[in-house]
Amino acid sequence: METKEWLKAALENLSRDGVDYADARHLDRESESITVRNEQVAGLSRKSDSGFGIRVLYKGSWGFAASARLTEASVMDTANRALEVARASYLTQREAVKLDGSQPQRGSYKSDFEVDPFTVPLDKKLGLLFGALKVLRQDKRIGVAEGSMSFFRTDKLFLSTEGAEIMQSIMESGAGISATAMEDGELQRRSYPDSHGGDCLARGYEFIESLRLVENAESTREEALALLSAEPCPADTTDLIITSSQLGLQIHESCGHPTELDRALGTEISYAGGSFLTLDKLGKFRYGSKIVNLYGDATIPGSIGSFGYDDEGVPAQRFPIIKAGIFVGYLTSRETAPIVGGQSTGAMRAQGWNHIPLIRMVNINLEPGEEDLSLDDLVADTKDGILVATNKSWSIDDLRLNFQFGCEIGWEIKNGKRVRMLKNPVYTGITPQFWNSCDAICGRSEWRLWGLPNCGKGEPPQTMHVGHGTAPARFRNTEVGVKK
Amino acid sequence: MIGEEQLLGLLKRVVSRSPAERTELVCMGGRSGLTRYTKSAIHQNVIEEDTSVYVRVAEGKRLGVVTVNRMEEEELVQAAARAVEVARHQPENPYFEDFPQPAQYQKTNTYFEATAEFTPTARAETMKKIFAQSDRLGFEVAGAFSSGEAEIAVLNSNGLSAYQPLTHAQITIVPVSEHGMSRSSAFSHDVSTIDFEGLAARGLERCALNKDQQEIPVGQMDVILEPSCLADVIMWLSMIAFGSSSFIEGRSFLAGKLGEQSMGDNITIYDSIVEPEAQGLPFDFQGFPKQKVVLIERGINRGVVFDTMSANQAKTKPTGHGLPPGMPHGAIPWNVCLEPGDSSLEEMISSCRRGLLVTNFHYVNGFLAPKNALMTGMTRYGTFLVEDGKIRHAVKNLRWTESMLRAFSNVQAISREREVISDEGGSFALMPAVYVKDFTFTGVQKEESE
Repeated sequence: METKEWLKAALENLSRDGVDYADARHLDRESESITVRNEQVAGLSRKSDSGFGIRVLYKGSWGFAASARLTEASVMDTANRALEVARASYLTQREAVKLDGSQPQRGSYKSDFEVDPFTVPLDKKLGLLFGALKVLRQDKRIGVAEGSMSFFRTDKLFLSTEGAEIMQSIMESGAGISATAMEDGELQRRSYPDSHGGDCLARGYEFIESLRLVENAESTREEALALLSAEPCPADTTDLIITSSQLGLQIHESCGHPTELDRALGTEISYAGGSFLTLDKLGKFRYGSKIVNLYGDATIPGSIGSFGYDDEGVPAQRFPIIKAGIFVGYLTSRETAPIVGGQSTGAMRAQGWNHIPLIRMVNINLEPGEEDLSLDDLVADTKDGILVATNKSWSIDDLRLNFQFGCEIGWEIKNGKRVRMLKNPVYTGITPQFWNSCDAICGRSEWRLWGLPNCGKGEPPQTMHVGHGTAPARFRNTEVGVKK
Repeated sequence: MIGEEQLLGLLKRVVSRSPAERTELVCMGGRSGLTRYTKSAIHQNVIEEDTSVYVRVAEGKRLGVVTVNRMEEEELVQAAARAVEVARHQPENPYFEDFPQPAQYQKTNTYFEATAEFTPTARAETMKKIFAQSDRLGFEVAGAFSSGEAEIAVLNSNGLSAYQPLTHAQITIVPVSEHGMSRSSAFSHDVSTIDFEGLAARGLERCALNKDQQEIPVGQMDVILEPSCLADVIMWLSMIAFGSSSFIEGRSFLAGKLGEQSMGDNITIYDSIVEPEAQGLPFDFQGFPKQKVVLIERGINRGVVFDTMSANQAKTKPTGHGLPPGMPHGAIPWNVCLEPGDSSLEEMISSCRRGLLVTNFHYVNGFLAPKNALMTGMTRYGTFLVEDGKIRHAVKNLRWTESMLRAFSNVQAISREREVISDEGGSFALMPAVYVKDFTFTGVQKEESE
């Protein structure tokens, strides 16, 4: 493989030039995205993207250069430019970067799948989506019926001046449908299995078929229609049950992002923001109630937050973040881990060959409750409350404290029963207050891993694929609705 | 950068060799660098070089798109063949008639050598001076400074050929004290026009004010919103209301309500590539000439933007706002401007009996109830209580939840000065500051319960 040899030679040259450290990533990605809307293919594209990036640490300052031109001369030139950029960074250095002692790895990783989605005929994919849309559109009040699929195949090579050499190959597949009902100026949407394009796993086309989009279209349509005449969510303070996928986004925004150590150290404060989980809180801050346990875990097979090695070549790990409600760990990198006295948790990932790795979520999971409580049990145990499902809107402040989420659907609970459907449910809170109000989490049988393929962070913006495993949970005395 | 002659020559050869009935090539590429800093030191410094070609073909009314980032002629011809295969498996698109015909474009000046030649070392040297400036006041600086050059070309089998080079320089300066932060930013195609020292000085001055933030009760208050707040809101309005898909599908507040009043009669919002303060790309990603489109005129719903296919669907004319091929979003406005007024930020503050000066919004979301343009978001980088015409003190960041139709119906004053808020791809928002009566705040940023 010529590219590997050129990259190795470039790293050897950089070593001779006296850099502290350098790594190189070459990436090949094939992707396909399909969106159908009503009777039309609204968008369909196939993309091939390849290139390489070289990261250099020179006298404790970083530089990075990337190019899509795969020639020996371009590789050497790009390496030299990465060094030139690092020298520019050095002009403003106040403290030299030091990396942890993670051992260089040599190995490979391949995600499992049964059916390569890129070999499945387009006719079959469109047939499945249009079949689901036909069911969604059986009522004329469904103004917009939409379905989508996306597929990614990524092959990555990682090399470093420390001697790391890693090959990884990851396949990902996702799909979802939605129905937007409209009547008399009212507009209500339901999605299956989740909003934001559905669900996505590191699997093949067998995952798309397992979603049973056609079979679930009728209930999706009927809930959208029922929402047209539902009562609006009242403004109140009440007990709130959050179902699995919305709780995944809650974890993402209020636990995942604030436990990224680069945010806590201030490297994102001019864009995405900082974190209320400052270094002094590590190991002692009560983030949630005693039943709240959250882990980072990049080792779960089949999740889009899993991999063999991160983009610094650190092996995938499982590590605690919140233990019995106490904040005990950050997501870290080789640069930041020593600041909190540890080694990298293997959370550095880059969107593509032309991006540097940043600390990104892996799978950030809420452990299920100890008792095997079902969602029905949890509703039956709730005297007054609201149950919400499927994200519609999301907003959280720059320190990840004050959040507001809107959901597609809600149900009022009275005396342990769902008594009526509610439209436009919204809830708001303050992160630690909210997680400390968590008094019940459903059991293992309700736990599900969700893929979230659109996590944004960094400048230039990078979109990352992450996962969240959750079971429905209850939060006491939560503010719902919007106060006038 | 490949350059106009060489790039168009390559694309012309590929179109002539394409096996498709009709072929369209959209090429976007260039070289860009970005320097990020925190605690007055550079912590991230990157450069990248990439060019992608969207190959869209038509077989009758069937369309296929394949995108590659290889620029060899053979690779592009093969991509066209793969796009034909994709097209043959698709249903017909009844709204596709043909790719656009050759056209004349407005001349816009979007490329400057000084910016193209601005190096990582030049960015670092600029920042070193700003860090020294903030050191003198005991503040640290965070932010990002990017610069680069790009080229966009569209060529199709009807003989249409469009090319535009662009440069960009964009800087964000976030001074940080032990008490709070502020933010100032600038964008220009020409780096030599940016007053870095003045920009930093304004940010440092604001940062000094942002201390001892007090908590104020939530509810309705008058607000003075600086231009960056409006840019966030307008970006959401573009997605949920001013684009072709939301209009055609009935999700936009303008759908079925053209000619009706939805905002105050002092509000005019339009999309334009030639303004005194900014210039944009003169064609869209189909090579169709960009038209000036009035979206809201004196508060009355006037129109939305279209590409060729969405225009056919809506039985109207395209406005030159098509997105890159294969995207499912229809047409979206790229250069949204709010007509200036006759006031100034200082006059708004001095006329305010009690209200808030909001310098920036954060994490705005417009999906709460799009038909009412109901949005939520936070304030950030400095929110100040104004009483009796003077800034009294900083307040804690607040959550707001408000219908933008209501807010734009309650605008009491608009500034003469407008600010360009942009990204590097040729899009921008051109926004003044506005004074809004009775804006709704619903929460506070704090660790303990509200």
